[in-house]
Amino acid sequence: MTHVIDVPQILDERSFDQFAGGFAGAEGAARVLVDAHASEWASPAGLIGLLCAGQALLARGGVKPLLTVPAEREVAHYWARAGFFVHAADLFEIHGSVPRVKPNPERNVLLEVTPVTVADDVHAVVGRIQERSAAILTSELGLDPKATMGFGMALSEACQNIVEHAGTGGWVAVQAYSWRALGKRVVVIAVADAGVGFRHTLEATQGKRFGDRWGDATALEAALIQGISRFRDPGRGQGLAGIRRYLDRWHGKISIRSGTARIAIVPAWDRDEPLRDGLPRFPGAQVQLVVPEVEREAR
Amino acid sequence: MITSIDLREVLASSVGSLHSDLVTRSTGAKVRSSIEASLSAQSTDSAVVLDFSSVRVLDCSCADEVVAKLLLRRPSGPGGPTSWFVIRGLTESHAEEIDHVLRRRRLALVAEEQGGHPRLLGEVDPSAAAAWQVVLDRGSAAEQEIADALPLAIDETRRALDALVGAGIVRRAEGRYLPLTTAA
Repeated sequence: MTHVIDVPQILDERSFDQFAGGFAGAEGAARVLVDAHASEWASPAGLIGLLCAGQALLARGGVKPLLTVPAEREVAHYWARAGFFVHAADLFEIHGSVPRVKPNPERNVLLEVTPVTVADDVHAVVGRIQERSAAILTSELGLDPKATMGFGMALSEACQNIVEHAGTGGWVAVQAYSWRALGKRVVVIAVADAGVGFRHTLEATQGKRFGDRWGDATALEAALIQGISRFRDPGRGQGLAGIRRYLDRWHGKISIRSGTARIAIVPAWDRDEPLRDGLPRFPGAQVQLVVPEVEREAR
Repeated sequence: MITSIDLREVLASSVGSLHSDLVTRSTGAKVRSSIEASLSAQSTDSAVVLDFSSVRVLDCSCADEVVAKLLLRRPSGPGGPTSWFVIRGLTESHAEEIDHVLRRRRLALVAEEQGGHPRLLGEVDPSAAAAWQVVLDRGSAAEQEIADALPLAIDETRRALDALVGAGIVRRAEGRYLPLTTAA
């Protein structure tokens, strides 16, 4: 019997747990259908989260899960322009009409869905995005030109988490869009993998120190708040700290979901919860960085 | 002797990158290895200027591998390091990343931002930083001159200067202290 995972109509960081709940419920299912036919919108984090689900399901069962294409033509086209279907085809048996689009003609897609496995991929990603992000960050979001270099740094460090820790490949996507709750334009970097996750990565060096409290939430706190890495070298574990410094300067937000927990450094403009535990289990790590538009009067 | 090293050129030769972005830890390790290999043929007592002018993006991981580990691994004698590193051509963003990785490892060096004056990056205690500024302003200075200028007790001045020499930020020669700059 086929287990159906419904893709929420709006798939973003708020609704991702609903999707993850469906994914967790598919444990042991012989055949899985990821049903996106009713989808109306997916954030970059949502799109690469779908790929992570496909990767994990394929690795688990050895059979490609099914994926239905969004019925709404514009939605399917947007997913195609964002580069989603190119990679989904390797992981899913796709049902429905996949639009044929020219690669990356969408202005708001700063970086289409791009695989990251090795350090060379990170170089390519940073190189490709730098000029496009400069235009968006300065002219559209009103950030100081200095913000562009830091943006490349943050993107690089976020991608390196996959290369250094995931134990498998992952994806990155960068888009500019309007953040409804904020009522502003934002640039969002989404990086995700279906690898081993933060808890597993840090367990050998940190598990004993935390004792009974050790889990996904404490692992995320150790990595993001305390800057702890699995290496004893004090020079390691600086990537997330560097991202935090950059986002702090430009009033941005970082959130990381791994396993059953999610942590966020919440800026004044957002009402997210700093730490949540006991969420539906989802493999790997999903990192989202949000850089908001500068207040008009501050420009 | 002063050796100038263009980081963009080292990046191209060591990893074949067409980009000018110093990113990822593995790239940083290759760049550092190339620099160490080129310096190994040189005599000690040399100053090395690392030129970042053509570097676009620098991330923390690469800054740690290239800059911090070069300082950690450089040859040292009883009087401190026997080779000295100075950085030039930094953007504000580069300087921020390098400052952070050096502080994390309790290291310091002299750097010049693009179009700017020499400044210290990394961890230096306030007395040592003040002593360095006197040495820089005067071009060279003796211990007593520096103590008078700050003013600090002679013992405290000596400790500050020893720290600067140990960190490879100033050189001691014939009873005087000399600053390291890109024009050293």
